[in-house]
Amino acid sequence: MLLAIAGFELRKRFRMLSTLVYVLVFFAMGFLAMISAGGAFSGVSVGFGADKVHANAPAALNGLVTIFCHLGTLVTASVFGQALHQDREARIAPLFFSAPIRKLDYLGGRYLGAVVFSLVIFLAIAAGLAFGTIMPFVEKVSFGPNHLAAYLWPYLTTVWPNVVFTGAVFFALAGLGRQMMPVYVGAVLLVIGYLMAGSLFGRLEHRTLAALLDPFGMTASRLITEYWTVSEQNTRLVPLTGILLLNRALWLAIGVAVFAFTVVRFRLAHDGTAERKASAKDAEGVLPPTHAPEVAIDRGGRLGLLVRMTRLSFRSTVRDVYFGVIVFAGILFMVIASLQSSAIYGTPTYPVTRAIVEVTGGSFSIFALILITFYSGELVWRERDAKMDLIVDALPVPTWLPFLSKLLTLFLMLAVLMLVVMIGGIAIQTARGYFHYELGLYVKLLFGLRLVDFALLAVLALTVQVVVNHKYIGHFVMVLYYVWTLFMPKLGLEHNLVKFGGAPDLEYSDMNRFGHFLKPVLWFDLYWALFCVLLAIASLLLFPRGVESGARFRLREARRRLGPALAAGSGLAALAFVATGGFIYWNTNVRNHYRPSNANEAHQADYEKTFKATEKDPQPSITGVDVAIDIFPGEPSLHARGTYALRNVGNEPVRTVHVQLADDLPFEKLALGGVERPTRSDTGFGWYDFDLAEPLAPGATSKLEFDIWFRQRGFRNDIGDTEVVGNGTFFHSTQLPSIGYAEGGELAADGSRRKFALPPKSRMHDLDDRAAHHHNYVARDSDWIDFKATVSTAEGQTAIAPGYLARSWTENGRAYSVFEMDRKILGFWSVLSAEYSVKKDTWNGIPLEVYYHHEHTYDLQRMFDGMKDALAYCSDAFGPYQHRQARILEFPRYQTYAQSFPNTIPYSEAIGFIAKVDDSDPKDVDFPYYVTAHEIAHQWWAHQVIGADVQGATMLSETLAQYSALMVMKKKLGVERMRRFLAYELDTYLRQRAFERKRELPLLRCENQQYIHYNKGSLVMYALQDYAGEATVNRALHAFVDTWKEKGPPYPTTRDLVSALRKELLPEHQYLVDDMIENITLYDNRTTSATYHALPDGTFEVRVKVVARKMRADDLGVEKDVPVNESIDIGALDEAGLVLFREKRLVTSSESEHVFVLPKPPAKAGIDPMNILVDRKPDDNVMRAVEAR
Amino acid sequence: MELVIKDLAKRYPNGVQALGGVSLTIGPGMFGLLGPNGAGKSTLMRILSTLQEADSGSVTFGGIDVLKEKEKVRGLLGYLPQEFGLYPKVTAYDLLDHLALLKGIRETKRRREIVDYLLRKTNLFEARHRRLGGYSGGMKQRFGIAQALLGDPKLVIVDEPTAGLDPEERNRFHNLLAEIGEDIVVILSTHIVSDVSDLCRQMAILHRGSVVQSGDPQALTEQLRGRIWRKVVAKSEVEAHQSNLQVISTRRIAGRTLLHVHADQRPDASFEPAEADLEDLYFFAMRASERAA
Repeated sequence: MLLAIAGFELRKRFRMLSTLVYVLVFFAMGFLAMISAGGAFSGVSVGFGADKVHANAPAALNGLVTIFCHLGTLVTASVFGQALHQDREARIAPLFFSAPIRKLDYLGGRYLGAVVFSLVIFLAIAAGLAFGTIMPFVEKVSFGPNHLAAYLWPYLTTVWPNVVFTGAVFFALAGLGRQMMPVYVGAVLLVIGYLMAGSLFGRLEHRTLAALLDPFGMTASRLITEYWTVSEQNTRLVPLTGILLLNRALWLAIGVAVFAFTVVRFRLAHDGTAERKASAKDAEGVLPPTHAPEVAIDRGGRLGLLVRMTRLSFRSTVRDVYFGVIVFAGILFMVIASLQSSAIYGTPTYPVTRAIVEVTGGSFSIFALILITFYSGELVWRERDAKMDLIVDALPVPTWLPFLSKLLTLFLMLAVLMLVVMIGGIAIQTARGYFHYELGLYVKLLFGLRLVDFALLAVLALTVQVVVNHKYIGHFVMVLYYVWTLFMPKLGLEHNLVKFGGAPDLEYSDMNRFGHFLKPVLWFDLYWALFCVLLAIASLLLFPRGVESGARFRLREARRRLGPALAAGSGLAALAFVATGGFIYWNTNVRNHYRPSNANEAHQADYEKTFKATEKDPQPSITGVDVAIDIFPGEPSLHARGTYALRNVGNEPVRTVHVQLADDLPFEKLALGGVERPTRSDTGFGWYDFDLAEPLAPGATSKLEFDIWFRQRGFRNDIGDTEVVGNGTFFHSTQLPSIGYAEGGELAADGSRRKFALPPKSRMHDLDDRAAHHHNYVARDSDWIDFKATVSTAEGQTAIAPGYLARSWTENGRAYSVFEMDRKILGFWSVLSAEYSVKKDTWNGIPLEVYYHHEHTYDLQRMFDGMKDALAYCSDAFGPYQHRQARILEFPRYQTYAQSFPNTIPYSEAIGFIAKVDDSDPKDVDFPYYVTAHEIAHQWWAHQVIGADVQGATMLSETLAQYSALMVMKKKLGVERMRRFLAYELDTYLRQRAFERKRELPLLRCENQQYIHYNKGSLVMYALQDYAGEATVNRALHAFVDTWKEKGPPYPTTRDLVSALRKELLPEHQYLVDDMIENITLYDNRTTSATYHALPDGTFEVRVKVVARKMRADDLGVEKDVPVNESIDIGALDEAGLVLFREKRLVTSSESEHVFVLPKPPAKAGIDPMNILVDRKPDDNVMRAVEAR
Repeated sequence: MELVIKDLAKRYPNGVQALGGVSLTIGPGMFGLLGPNGAGKSTLMRILSTLQEADSGSVTFGGIDVLKEKEKVRGLLGYLPQEFGLYPKVTAYDLLDHLALLKGIRETKRRREIVDYLLRKTNLFEARHRRLGGYSGGMKQRFGIAQALLGDPKLVIVDEPTAGLDPEERNRFHNLLAEIGEDIVVILSTHIVSDVSDLCRQMAILHRGSVVQSGDPQALTEQLRGRIWRKVVAKSEVEAHQSNLQVISTRRIAGRTLLHVHADQRPDASFEPAEADLEDLYFFAMRASERAA
């Protein structure tokens, strides 16, 4: 019987039109994803991880199939919900309930039918994906061989259990809730459940828990695959073991339990409505008056009527339990997300208002989208769902009245959501002890900007509902629209004039507030608001009334409704819309250059094709800079005038000098060595040639003079330049003229280069490319330069450039300062200007200053501590500090880094100034201190020793700065507290290497790959000093500085560093350099048992059994085992994760046992407890120690 | 005011000819529109209520073009659809008050008076603060008539109002309708013959989209006087009678079958004369139109 019912359900489903639609949509999703990964759309490149990972690699397929099926949850919700609800809806339920079937047969059959159906339609995704790979127009290099197993495996491990689980939930909701709405709300909550697990994922300790709790199992498979190398991703199926198996079993069991619960609780009975039926025999007692009272009919006062109608529908909507559920889920999400937001190294930042509001941007807007999508349908269909439409439609009210009241209701709902967000935000701030509420900012961000975006979308959703005139298809169209918006940029549709509701991304900065970025956003908002007026008019004309739904009738009716007033109104709105659009277009495309990203790639390719030939032309080098920079914050604009001193440092005469500016940047003056204007110009590429009358002989000098205004003409489609702003200008020297072909302007990604028929290129010059040793990697066109800058800014602001303040004065309401540098520096500098507060201190008689935004006083002391400790450590370890001053300057959060310039360190407001470090919490990392130490260390590693423009250059600056900061931290916090930090570095390294776009290289040859020079570099240098001793390593580094301080060209490379290290290292430590710097070496060490027992003297003897494994990886991650016979830490940790004991013991590839004695029992024990070595599975290094019997 | 319908036709996209050129003139008072299910009654009613379009023909109501000037019609209209629902979580009072407001009764005090009056009139006053979700079918139907009477309508259209009501409810409903003034146009569509014979002074029979009879029910019945004959036969004899005679209705009575036959003379001695009533007319008219088709 059960099977018969399931079969009936299946047959019915397969005959429905919606089935075809689902299958087509799923197929199309898979197909589109696959062909775009295969480069089918010009300018579109979709990547699912690293470039070298095949688009149809098992790991990629696993990700695609599961994510698409996850999106398909909305479909399963409808399938399972309808499987039960259809009977009630069609009022056929009593027929089934009275039939002689058992409850289990009825429910089980329906459920089984829906499960099979869902699985079958989900297979369309795999079919679409597979079909995409064999299209003739895709690039074959993006794909590996197709394996059927790789397509089907994700269904077995993930999709099938998910359908069983989610289906059971939806089934229960439909069966026990007796309505469809709970089913849809349930679907939404499941999505949130997923988001929650995902956001917990950020915290290292919660990973396993998050993986277990994720009902869709995606977190679990990500946990398993996150460290997979390219070759593993290309070949391995995600194994159904460990946490994934546990997760699947758990949620499958929960699914079965939920289904069982439904069976038990479901009643095969007609729903006697809870409310008792009123008796028909109500009192006849009261005699009605014989005559009706006089009525006064008055059709005026429509506005009052509108208010009443809106209030009525608004009230019934917000009292709706589902509205409450969605809003509540939103708050829950907000609280969880705010815990995670902007934490750095797991350490929180202060919940400043803009950060809290940003939490409700991004994924939170899904709640608003759900509200808009669902309730636009509910509102448009409210009368019809209640079957009151015939009564209401025949009422003598104009059609715009119900229409507007529905629109206003949607607006009000969104406003309520914003209000809830605001209250929730304030509550979060209060709960976290932050009381600087910026109510005005809340209102501006939430009601001024966010609400407008949502309101525009609400108009769109309502229009869709009206035009489509079918609730569920309307929902579907909106979902398609959301998916479409994800694809738009990939299709080159990036202009905000064609992206519904589009506007440049506005970032609020505490320093610069909205700056001049707000105005263009408002223009775009106006443009789309006018468009929405037109949409609203259109949907008013088409607003359904009566029973006719044919298109012909509706159009005729629309023409009838279009009275003169409405026609005039829409004409006016259309005119204003076109005018605004024209104004915007004039700004974005005429006054400025608009180039979508695919055109941008073409432009880059053209640059290379046009000018690559000049790369080897002899060019002079910049040897001195004397600039006058005038900053006008009010406009904002910047006027740069100056002179570069040039010298021919080569052996050949220079006949033509190539000067490079930003694309399309106009200039007042550009003159070189007596040539008053460029001989040849290509403004589009900012390329200017100067043919010298007299060739510049080797050793001869010349001058480049320039006069350039940097100002935004009108506004752009994107947010535009963020360097010159009202408060917090941070202007880089890279904006000024440079000399010669800029290799950095070439296309880098392999796929993009293929598309434009460019040969593949390496990211950096080969380590042993002798010619490249004559340039440093920071500023190719200059060597060590003399520097002087005269800067001016509006009074009230302070403008600062590297160097020492020589003079300052005020003139015409402007503040002038002259900064002079007393020694040669790299040709890489910047100028900042803002309304600064200053805090001062000294170290060894050297003045230290922090220039900060007056509100950001939280972490100033940590920065001073970082400066002092790092200056002390580095000058002690590596040689004297070359400057007589050090200063930190805050800049707005448009960039989120700190950057070291000579004696001057610009520091983003987003990273160190609002850190909330709890010193009593051993888990918190004092990152303002740490980042400061890192930047100070750059005064040695970059500003004293700068690497040649070849592979490994960033190791000389970033890795060594990282090492210095680590040592400063270790000195301050003690070695025990370093473990957490190293764990982060290891995790980041392992995770990022899986996303390598080209190839992973050893540290020695790293090509500006952050996960190598920062994260792996930290681990390697830490391990080196742990094995060989800090003093030994520092001795080598000191010698390295002594040899190369302010030297070049030629500049040093990692080979020079390695030989300095090898000179100091003992023979038994030389292998560390082989393994960690010259090769890619990974360990997979683990502990097989850890026990302890009490000794008679009150101490504890600990015994651990460990196995070591070591592998060498090639550049695609293919690993080869190498034998282990070396010393590795054996040790123990306490409950807090602090190291109790650690000692290097000889271990091998086979299991070895180690014994040591502790004063107290350990919590965990094992091999390499500090994560000093690069271990692919750090979690199994230690295990919980148990007491031996 | 008079409602004049001329050559009204409507065909649905699926090909069903719902109305095939209906012409009627309806004066003040109660007008009964009789017809079997699917005759086109509801289509006609919805067209008159501005909710549906006609393909051709015209409808005027006291100088108003009903098909074009929908807003004007709605101002004069009271409409009770055949099938309707009510917001289940709203009380009768609140909903009626809201509808009154939408009908243009803005003055609060007046509105309360009229709402109270109508609730009393429909015997819902005691239950006025109960949620509509808890109302029985009869109560819902009475609420429907209450809202249709809001705002002093000049044209009241009630579509199958007594379907599904028990006899007592139906009676009460008839009384209510009968009280509506004689000077406004009330159109009552029904497939129950006695609804019309009890209430209406004018009527039309609609069958397959066409008017097959119209006029005063009594006068129409009068035409059949002396031409209706009855006979009780065994079940086995029914077919033979049907092939020989113009049988207009059959009804089972205690195991045998009662036949009504239309004939100018008594067919034979076994037939007795029967008092012609509206039901005979109804069946006669329909059989006649079927034969003609």
